[in-house]
Amino acid sequence: MSAEAPHALEVLEKTGNTMTLSMGPQHPSTHGVLQVIVEVSGETVESLEMEIGYLHTGIEKSAENLFWTQAQTVIERMDYLNPVGNALCYTLAAERLLGITEKIPARAQAIRVVHSELTRISSHCVWLGTHAIDLGAISNFWYAFDIRENILDLVEASGGARMHPNYLRIGGVNGDLPAGWLEQLDVLIEKFPGRMHELRTMLQNNPIWRDRTIDIGIVTPEDAVKWSLSGPSLRGSGIAYDVRKAFPYCGYETYEFDVAVRSEGDAYARFLVRLDEMDESMRIIRQVRERLRTPGPVMVDDPKIVAPPKETIALSMEALIHHFKIVSEGFRVPPGDVYQAIESPRGELGYYLISNGNNRPYRIRTRPPSMYNLQALKQIAIGNLIADMVVMIGSLDPVFGEVDR
Amino acid sequence: MPSSQTPSIAGTALDPTSVRPPLNDAEIVRVTPAELRDTLVRLRDEGCSMLLDLGAVDYLERSPRFDVAYHLLAMPAAVTSVAEIGTPRRVRVLAGVPGDDARLPSVVDLWPSADWAEREVWDLFGITFEGHPNLRRVQMPDEWQGHPLRKDYPLRGPATEATPRPAFALKSNVPAGTPPAGKVAEALQRQIARARGQDV
Amino acid sequence: MEMRPGEFMLGKLDDVARWAQSSSVWPLTMGLACCAIEMMSVQAPQYDIARLGSEVFRASPRQADLMIVSGRVAQKMGPIIKRLYDQMADPKWVISMGACASSGGVFDNYAIIQGVDTIVPVDVYVPGCPPTPDGLLYAINLIQQQIRQGGRGGILARA
Repeated sequence: MSAEAPHALEVLEKTGNTMTLSMGPQHPSTHGVLQVIVEVSGETVESLEMEIGYLHTGIEKSAENLFWTQAQTVIERMDYLNPVGNALCYTLAAERLLGITEKIPARAQAIRVVHSELTRISSHCVWLGTHAIDLGAISNFWYAFDIRENILDLVEASGGARMHPNYLRIGGVNGDLPAGWLEQLDVLIEKFPGRMHELRTMLQNNPIWRDRTIDIGIVTPEDAVKWSLSGPSLRGSGIAYDVRKAFPYCGYETYEFDVAVRSEGDAYARFLVRLDEMDESMRIIRQVRERLRTPGPVMVDDPKIVAPPKETIALSMEALIHHFKIVSEGFRVPPGDVYQAIESPRGELGYYLISNGNNRPYRIRTRPPSMYNLQALKQIAIGNLIADMVVMIGSLDPVFGEVDR
Repeated sequence: MPSSQTPSIAGTALDPTSVRPPLNDAEIVRVTPAELRDTLVRLRDEGCSMLLDLGAVDYLERSPRFDVAYHLLAMPAAVTSVAEIGTPRRVRVLAGVPGDDARLPSVVDLWPSADWAEREVWDLFGITFEGHPNLRRVQMPDEWQGHPLRKDYPLRGPATEATPRPAFALKSNVPAGTPPAGKVAEALQRQIARARGQDV
Repeated sequence: MEMRPGEFMLGKLDDVARWAQSSSVWPLTMGLACCAIEMMSVQAPQYDIARLGSEVFRASPRQADLMIVSGRVAQKMGPIIKRLYDQMADPKWVISMGACASSGGVFDNYAIIQGVDTIVPVDVYVPGCPPTPDGLLYAINLIQQQIRQGGRGGILARA
């Protein structure tokens, strides 16, 4: 406050002069296509309005017009950082309606868990890289994406594609792990603690990082419940709700892992929760690695739902007919509605899946964790600087494929 | 061939929610629009403090036509450990909304996180939420006509495009029979006119 | 251009300009959906787009000369892409990355614009859902070839 400009400040205080800025939808720091229309006074946010819908894809309507197995291809593209999670939630929901949840082989469940946790780590790598780069810490981006490349190599080897492999299917997984996959996983398991140590060293006790994230975007537990937060955003405020512990699926109750939780509720707390979650995921992966030593079937043995192996088509008439029926008209799922939730890297991903007995899903209503997490910004950004708002968006980790669907 | 052109198998259920097998995923409470708010307030006071999700379904041939599903979760609003949370209670409240009078009371005052979810239901299904402070479209552009997720809305949308076409035309975008345009075409017209002895 | 032993390099001004342009194509951060994550992987160390000249991705369209439309283009986003394209300074090029940007991809429905080439002129299409980072690098190579041969971008559409 200099002696030369008191008049300007007086004018500002009397007129309350604010400027309306549109941040986005094309912006390097909005983590996707988000438009935030902020009214700023200086650099302080007085009010904001968020516009979403810039990535609305009509996935739910597309899924209503595709067979049960085909619908999974579009559903996987909702939360594009966690395609395995989308597929997992959908297959679990459909299997519940089909009534085959207990018949899924143990090896298939183990493969599902290992892919789920690998995708969780790779999603947190993208979060860390982009969150850090918003604040100017560019080195983290390179290191985090290097870990992600190793994970994507594994996913590509088993599923066929780096992102959206469509590897998890209704009834199990599509084909066993290729030879050498487990050895490649061992290399990652061994490399991982060193890499995590590097990531932590760069940021965790960095004074600039701590200044920019401690006490920023504080969410009290009451607010967290009010705004329907879930996942690391909720656990950063002290409420240790993790769907893997509360409503276990895929055998998670048989693995030993802790739920990372902090009670401060600020961006630094959420940052620490996610880093701890990466470590816990690797802990689960080490346990699954032991279970993957035992061979076994990877698909449920029901020719009405799962196409028989291609080799049997030339030998068995029934196999040929089942194959033909499944490919040309799909299979039917008994009527009913079910809500299935999993713990995605962003929070509770839930699908309210409805079947009317047809060979297509009737309705798949997604409970997108990012949409609910992001709404908290309406409260926590007010009164803070624009630069802090960038930190808050990063710490809530929204993915717009899921927000807009 | 795309599966949207294959006919669906005959013999489908009119109301899946009434023929569902016991699945133990949530307690299910069915209400009319008039009972909705009281039921939600009662459940919230019983401990279902978090509104997980609010979504709509269109059962075209059923009466009432729409179902709006409210998923609630019992979540303590204080620092709690994993053991204390245990397996929280899940409740699904299904409100049947008639197609000709599609409106429901808004719950934004109970849970502010219902804001965008209700706007999305209005945008994609056309169900009005009375008491919502800002009920306008959220996923589709503001000037979009129709409610896309209704079962009688075509998958590929309306015939007209909402996006403005640029001034230039790419060869693949120009429908057959369109007369030529552009500098070259104008020069050609001038040449033809000159050849015919007309004024250019 | 020819190099003579000593201190001189002879060449046409056009060639020098094109060599400079093709060696420093700076993309615009137009990341929309899943393809944007693969675009980020292209910037990451394993695929490293910086060695091809794209040292930085500029957020402002005034400072970029390549728009990589990476991801599905929703109805609300279409006019914005057109506006950003108009704001870029000439010469500018457009890569349509992925199946959704090229033709609507898996989403043949009301919400997705069936191909960004209905809005902006595209120079290179990259197939894939999402394309591997190698695919995007090859597309950048093709753009560089187009530049070196004298293309000023949007060459298919603008007379």
